[in-house]
Amino acid sequence: MYIKYPARTCAALLFLGLLSLQAAAGTWHHENGTITLDSTPKRIVALNWAATEALLLLGVTPVGVADRDGYSVWVKEPELPDKVANIGTRVAPSLEAIAELEPDLIVTSSEMAPASGLLERIAPTYVISVYKEGHRPFEKASEMLTTLGEMLGREDRAEGILADIEQTLDTQRQRLEEAGMTDRPVALVNFLDDRHVRIYAPNSLYQSTLDALGLENAWPRQGNFWGFSVVGLEAIAPYQNSRIAVVSPTLPGLSDTLADSPFWTYLPAVRRDEVYQIDAVWPFGGVFPVKRLATMLTDSLLEGGSDNVR
Amino acid sequence: MYADTSTLPEMRPSIPAKLPVAAIILWFGALIASSAPWIGQLDAGALASAFWTFDPENYSSVLAHYSWAPRVSIAILIGCGLGLAGAVTQQILGNPLASPTTLGVEAGGQFGITVATLFAPGLLAFSPDLAAIGGGLLAIGMVIALTWRLGFSPVTVILAGLVITFFLGALNMAFLLLKGEWLGNLFIWGAGSLVQNNWGPFMELWPRVLILAVLMLLLLRPLQLLQLGQSSANSLGARVGLIRALALFLVVLMTATVVSRVGVVAFVGLAAPVLARLLGARTIGDKLLWSTLMGGGLLLLADTLAHWASTWGDGSLVPTGTTTALIGGPVILLALQSFRNTHHMPGQESGPAGFQPRRRSPVLVTGIISALLLATVVVSMGWAPGLEGWNWTALTQWDHAWVWRGPRLLAAMLAGVALGLAGTLIQRMTGNPMGSPEMLGISGGAALVMVLIVLSGAEVGRAGQLGAATLGAAGALGLLIVLARKHRFAGNQLLLGGLALYVFMDAGLRLVMASGGTVASQLLNWMYGSTWLISEGEAFGLLGFTVLVSGLLLLVVRPLSILPLGDTAASSLGLSVARARLLLLFLAAVLTASATVVIGPLSFVGLIAPHLARVLGQQTVGRQMIVAALVGGLLLAVADYLSRIVVFPGQLPAGLLAALVGGIYFLWGLSRHGRQ
Repeated sequence: MYIKYPARTCAALLFLGLLSLQAAAGTWHHENGTITLDSTPKRIVALNWAATEALLLLGVTPVGVADRDGYSVWVKEPELPDKVANIGTRVAPSLEAIAELEPDLIVTSSEMAPASGLLERIAPTYVISVYKEGHRPFEKASEMLTTLGEMLGREDRAEGILADIEQTLDTQRQRLEEAGMTDRPVALVNFLDDRHVRIYAPNSLYQSTLDALGLENAWPRQGNFWGFSVVGLEAIAPYQNSRIAVVSPTLPGLSDTLADSPFWTYLPAVRRDEVYQIDAVWPFGGVFPVKRLATMLTDSLLEGGSDNVR
Repeated sequence: MYADTSTLPEMRPSIPAKLPVAAIILWFGALIASSAPWIGQLDAGALASAFWTFDPENYSSVLAHYSWAPRVSIAILIGCGLGLAGAVTQQILGNPLASPTTLGVEAGGQFGITVATLFAPGLLAFSPDLAAIGGGLLAIGMVIALTWRLGFSPVTVILAGLVITFFLGALNMAFLLLKGEWLGNLFIWGAGSLVQNNWGPFMELWPRVLILAVLMLLLLRPLQLLQLGQSSANSLGARVGLIRALALFLVVLMTATVVSRVGVVAFVGLAAPVLARLLGARTIGDKLLWSTLMGGGLLLLADTLAHWASTWGDGSLVPTGTTTALIGGPVILLALQSFRNTHHMPGQESGPAGFQPRRRSPVLVTGIISALLLATVVVSMGWAPGLEGWNWTALTQWDHAWVWRGPRLLAAMLAGVALGLAGTLIQRMTGNPMGSPEMLGISGGAALVMVLIVLSGAEVGRAGQLGAATLGAAGALGLLIVLARKHRFAGNQLLLGGLALYVFMDAGLRLVMASGGTVASQLLNWMYGSTWLISEGEAFGLLGFTVLVSGLLLLVVRPLSILPLGDTAASSLGLSVARARLLLLFLAAVLTASATVVIGPLSFVGLIAPHLARVLGQQTVGRQMIVAALVGGLLLAVADYLSRIVVFPGQLPAGLLAALVGGIYFLWGLSRHGRQ
């Protein structure tokens, strides 16, 4: 016994040493301390949709995600396989359901700070907030993708994704520049009802798309930490030089109400037929929506606008 | 010399000069403030003409005609409508706390719109009024059904109205939390926004408001009879019940119609009549007239402030519901200073008629509730859904399940006990059936701090949440003590002060709700009690604390039995009235604070539990307190279990379910008494 013990320790050390040769093992700093992983995580739970998206982009299917059904409706791409377990809502996930999945890595944001102690009891928890006061969403989302790539031994894939996004952005920018479409600002809005819109601010994820495309954001003020402001429709009236890009979905009957409203029909952008409606893009995602928005916005601008939403 | 005769007092009672002066100042101030942003863009004549015409070549003019002018018009229209509705409500219920808000009409309207958005979006596009009126009628219908046999006695109507408000409000929140992404527009609607971009809504509204106002004025004479008191009115041949029902119906129509266009702009209908009365309106005609005018001016002012705040900050919308609440708060505080005569306060007209249930053996009642509590614990620990389906956890394996199910169950139960005790304390102390920690504003104080934290975007851990909420509760308590000292801690003034605090909290909440879906649902989750965050340490800490305070409570049973006899009687029995009230207030506040950090400020267990104890036949202080504590614990234990299982793996806040479960029991109890 006395002699065997060091031998077992040696074996253990050797085993650990072998493991450390793999890319996955290691220690990372994050927003809530450090995380140490001994081996590549196999069973991962994502507590928000930005993290879900990053995992799927890396080709890793999480065992459980928060608000699974909502993801399929609002985020759509990259697609989430059906077999993934739902572990509750994004604001109040079921800890018991997470524990039942026996994950070896949990990815969450600082919104879950009050629950961090309980989450750590279940599995090592990686905390990164794409959306937070003072964070630039695209940079944080890229950092999340790269770090998850390291943890999961998929650095190459992460790099590839980011390079692809950069290239797409460049291509779209060239298309716009060739058409001479980058001269005037764009207001990016979501209609909440016929009187109010969410307008995306310079600290939004969408701003990265606008920057990369060489477009100016018509709205000059900072939004909340999700990067938008809820404003009355009249708030976009002063930006007379701007074009209006409307992100779907819109409520049924909106186009009729707007057509009846001289306030809308007299808007300079509307009079110039510069309302562009694009398909739904999840504004609070990771890196992927930046690419999706760039392509759709460019297509839409090149195709030409109309005087109303669809 | 002869001119002096004109200053002789007139013989017929006249309104004091300060009333028209105040109204004129209010209106002119609001109008000028509202026009101010247009200086430099349009001259005065062009701005005034924006109400009927515009210059298509000048976009400022288009904007003024289609955005500013309809907004000003609709603010005045709605304000007048709500002011009138509020005055009529206060008249028929003889109660300065009565308003469309307090009667559940606004919560009902909001509920109608939520349901329509989720299940019948077509109806909403067709006519939002129908949905709101349906909801408002549902709410008032429930109130009337519950109080029919009690002849609409003022206290009972308000009480039922409040419970309906909580009940429908809780249902509404459940939808918002589960379907938040789908209901983004409802967050704004709930917050109340007067933004306009067309004359359409105003043109649709004004004829309806006018017709309803005329109908209300036709009730003027019967309402005057009501002022004489119920029995005199009866003897003069007025059909009191019918008049009240008719007037309430008109109030519902007015509120729902008005509010369906712009959302919940609460407290205008409460503040306007209070202001009119404070400034000296005495006869019923005066009250209705000046309350209407005050309402219009108040809402225009509030809306202007909201518009200014929107343009000053980062540009995001500040909903008008926020500023009406900010104006409503001080007005209620003003009322607190001047209503020295508590004659018309709720709860003073004896206990509600028929509210003396048969006494029952305390041992039997306590035993049954304890058994139910034990059963709840066993089921909650053992029988739960998992990802693979439902399963039993055997007693031997409870130590595994404990960490996920135990602390939250224990904490919820203790919070219920604390609220039951605090509620009994407050209802006994104030002799007021509406008294509860929620109404006292202590929960509101704690919540206000939490709202501010969310607004500032700072992130705090669990300890930070606990500390902040306790600080807020203590602050609210301190404020209440300062306010109440003037009135020697008399009960009804405290309730009014608490209501004012609640109004301020409401303002912050509306601001958060309008600012964005996800932040809002996070906050709503806490507001309605997110027991899932409780750790073992916190649960045991709460246990020790509750035991300690319950021990202290044994000391106050005597003062509690004596206080309701009246100040004079209590003093003559050797009780230091002010000091006893202070101690009771302190205990109630501490209990409330500890419960609020666990279950949020809106569970209303503190209102419901003491009532249930009385319904179950416990009349003396000690018995009522014990049974209320047990009932409170049972309510929240059941609520915590349900919150975990009903939408698994989703979770509903336990406090919200408590409001639903407790509300149903309470309504059942109330209607049963009507029948006896």
